[in-house]
Amino acid sequence: MLEEALEHLVRGIVDNPDDVQVRTRSGRRGPGTTLEVRVNPSDMGRVIGKAGRTATSLRTVLGALAGSRAVRIDFLDVHER
Amino acid sequence: MTDDAAAQPASNATNLEREGDIAADYLEALLDIADLDGDIDMDVEGSRAVVSIVGGDLSALVGDDGEVLDALQDLTRLAVTREMGERSRLMLDIAGFRAARRAELSAVGTQAAADAASRAEAVRLAPMTPFERKVVHDAVAAAGGRSESEGEEPQRRVVVLPPE
Repeated sequence: MLEEALEHLVRGIVDNPDDVQVRTRSGRRGPGTTLEVRVNPSDMGRVIGKAGRTATSLRTVLGALAGSRAVRIDFLDVHER
Repeated sequence: MTDDAAAQPASNATNLEREGDIAADYLEALLDIADLDGDIDMDVEGSRAVVSIVGGDLSALVGDDGEVLDALQDLTRLAVTREMGERSRLMLDIAGFRAARRAELSAVGTQAAADAASRAEAVRLAPMTPFERKVVHDAVAAAGGRSESEGEEPQRRVVVLPPE
């Protein structure tokens, strides 16, 4: 559900929604879940926002949907590995 | 308000309705994905679209002090802005949180106006967001008082002045 929610929220705010990819990486960095969201390089500014504001908003909403589970979100462009 | 209306293009009301529609679609899909119950109401207040999610247990989407609500409003505005091509000032409310906060702030403003008059001294209130300060200024004015803002964001606050 978290992957799908993040994908929806991000697709709605970028210019290239079809380039948005979200996947979950579990347990790689301590407890909790890491969601990795990839966007078109030209949309990076949009998902991060001024002074990281949009990234913070996405983390806040996903944190609320996850309840007591810890969630991390990493933002990458589609070419990063 | 009249000046405002005159300065706006004639299509403004239609645009605000469209903002509400885009926001409602964005939020409705999120509620579906998260399996949360909620109905979406749309309204236009002055020159801004207001979208409210009501019903069900929505406390998770409000968060402490409306923190999640503010984040969701931020994202919803961005989604609307992307579709409309111009910046959205849309207001999102969830479970009546903003409405309740507004009533509370209004009462604070009314009380501060009375205190400033009875003590004949300025009453300085706690720091607030621009939206919160506006509600307080309006309540003070409605009570026949005067107020101004002082300080820098995010510590900017309303000061209610004693009668002249």
